Amino acid sequence: MKRAPLWIGYPAAVVVVAATTAALKLFPNLTEASVALLLLLAVFLCASIWQSGPGVAAAILSTLVFNFFFLPPLYTLTIQDPRNVTALVVFLVSGLLIGRLSALSRRRLAQLEAERRDLVALTDLSQGFLADTNRETLLGVAADRLRQALLAEQVVIFVPGADGALAPAATTAEAEARSDLAELAWKQGNSAAFPSTLGGTDIYLPINLGVHRVGALAARGLRSSERLAEASAALLGLALERERFLRIARDAEMTRASDDMKTTLLAALAHDLKTPVATARGAVENWASRAGDEAARPALEAIASLTRHIEDLMKVVRLDAGVAAPRRERVTAREIVEAAVARFGEALASHSLYVDLPPEDIPLDVDPSQLTEALGQGLENAALYSAPGTEVRVSVDESDGQARFEVTDRGPGVPEGDRDRVFGRFVRLSDSGAAEGSGLGLFIARRLVEMNGGRVRLLAAEPRGLRFEMLVPRAAG
Amino acid sequence: MSRILVVDDEPGIRKVVRDALERDGHEVVPAIDGEEALERFAEGTFDLVVTDLAMPRVDGLELVKEIRRRSPVPVLVLTVRGEEREKVRLLDQGADDYVTKPFGVAELVARVRALLRRRESARGPEITRWGDIEVDPEARTVRKGGELVHLTPLEFSILATLLRRPGAVWTHRQLMAEVWGTTAGVTNDTLRVHLGGIRRKLEDDPNRPRWFVTEPWVGYRFSPDT
Repeated sequence: MKRAPLWIGYPAAVVVVAATTAALKLFPNLTEASVALLLLLAVFLCASIWQSGPGVAAAILSTLVFNFFFLPPLYTLTIQDPRNVTALVVFLVSGLLIGRLSALSRRRLAQLEAERRDLVALTDLSQGFLADTNRETLLGVAADRLRQALLAEQVVIFVPGADGALAPAATTAEAEARSDLAELAWKQGNSAAFPSTLGGTDIYLPINLGVHRVGALAARGLRSSERLAEASAALLGLALERERFLRIARDAEMTRASDDMKTTLLAALAHDLKTPVATARGAVENWASRAGDEAARPALEAIASLTRHIEDLMKVVRLDAGVAAPRRERVTAREIVEAAVARFGEALASHSLYVDLPPEDIPLDVDPSQLTEALGQGLENAALYSAPGTEVRVSVDESDGQARFEVTDRGPGVPEGDRDRVFGRFVRLSDSGAAEGSGLGLFIARRLVEMNGGRVRLLAAEPRGLRFEMLVPRAAG
Repeated sequence: MSRILVVDDEPGIRKVVRDALERDGHEVVPAIDGEEALERFAEGTFDLVVTDLAMPRVDGLELVKEIRRRSPVPVLVLTVRGEEREKVRLLDQGADDYVTKPFGVAELVARVRALLRRRESARGPEITRWGDIEVDPEARTVRKGGELVHLTPLEFSILATLLRRPGAVWTHRQLMAEVWGTTAGVTNDTLRVHLGGIRRKLEDDPNRPRWFVTEPWVGYRFSPDT
């Protein structure tokens, strides 16, 4: 709504008072009191339409007109009856008061109207922001939404890019804004407002989120209040943050779904690989019960080796697929040793196995299956690379806030120069004598232990043999 | 002679299991999937069910649930070594034991015998003698090699519970519920301490138990045969 310039009110007030006077003169029988009231009405009219300046002018003019045209002696500014002096003063004061009050109430009304409009604009804006759920569409329409809400000519939203520098992320058509002021708003939180070459105000505001600044908002040719602009900037900050959380949640959901898929596929793969092997083993064993163990032994040994290869390959595939994230829980070092012996002890049936457990148990925050698996690899290695009948010792104790698991065998050991190399994939020492290993066991053990925050290494045993050592941090508390 | 229902969608595994069990003197009824298994199950009575876990249509887990709804017959599940969580779920659903592929025939036959013996004992007296151990459930006393062994009341309760299902695996939750009547406030640590006590007093080598076997992260098994 365009409004007439303010000075129009003064001639208009003169016209209104003159017209009222002329009209009153047509009715010579009116009492002075009636005249006074009707003149006051004219003052009220002027004040409420053209506000206080013209209102005051109308009040003074009406006082003079009242005196000149209606109080005896007529057509002079002198007053015959001293009581009319009081009346005239009362009239002047009333006129001034009426003018002031009506102007005031009008201004209040305008203010309320502006606030209501701001609220409506903010509500629309927040509904719009809530409807947009990804950054591209959010930013794309945010600039236009803000331009409408703020009654601005141009809007530019600045957000730091991937390189960390502030850059316009969304603008309205043909909008240009000063990036130095936007930078200042973003970096230091300073806002700037000044008269615009486009009319109205140019304003530069930081987009805040709590104590963080996530960007800057520039609105040029702003015709709404600065307060509305600030509130809109805050709303934009919230919308951007909400969008960020939504994106994180969506990514997490997608990762989880793809992990579930991988787990299911891997389970199916394991089933498909192991079922024929199970059939072969069972058939050979059934046959052996008639033909004799001796005849079946080579086949059974080959099947056992094939089984180990499949198991190891499945473990590596699972590790590579990233579905093997540790599920940590509070367990004790003793449990890990017991579990590893229970599950992998079979491989050591022809060895003398000694288990040394500490009197004091050591709490650990680890994935128990994974750590058992890792220690089990140590036991299987000992079984493969040391002669049947020799001694294998598994122990755990505490040193420097760590649980130290050890598997010691009396085999040939590993030369010092090779002790790190054998943790690689498919590494098997050529003179290790045993061909059954897949060359993946130590690789798997190291990956599993490291995923659980520990370390694993090979050492020489005294007087001979290999020491497989796993160090895992003791749980706090 | 026991009647055993063998369920697997792989003909090879069905034949292997059938040959092994028939050689051990059992009668075997094969079924190619969970659906057929339920039909066979409705037609006749069985002393044991051996089932694969992964099968089309009605899978092993659903089959176990369905059988458990109808009958207390022991169920042995063939799984692929993998998630302990899956085994716990199977056992909590009512399976009695599992063997992992590729299983040995001897192991399978031993597990089957143990579960069948439990079926016998459910009809007759419980197992109270094995190795050099003798248990008197009435007097709540235990002897090892003729010597009286003192067990705490909780240790005896756990022992008595395990004896009720020789060969079967008890999950931690099942044991807690059975012995304490609740799983609230009882931890795996508590169980382990009492099992440790039982082993120390009854096993020849408590560090390599023969009878009271830990099934890592799953539970415990009383295994009088091995």
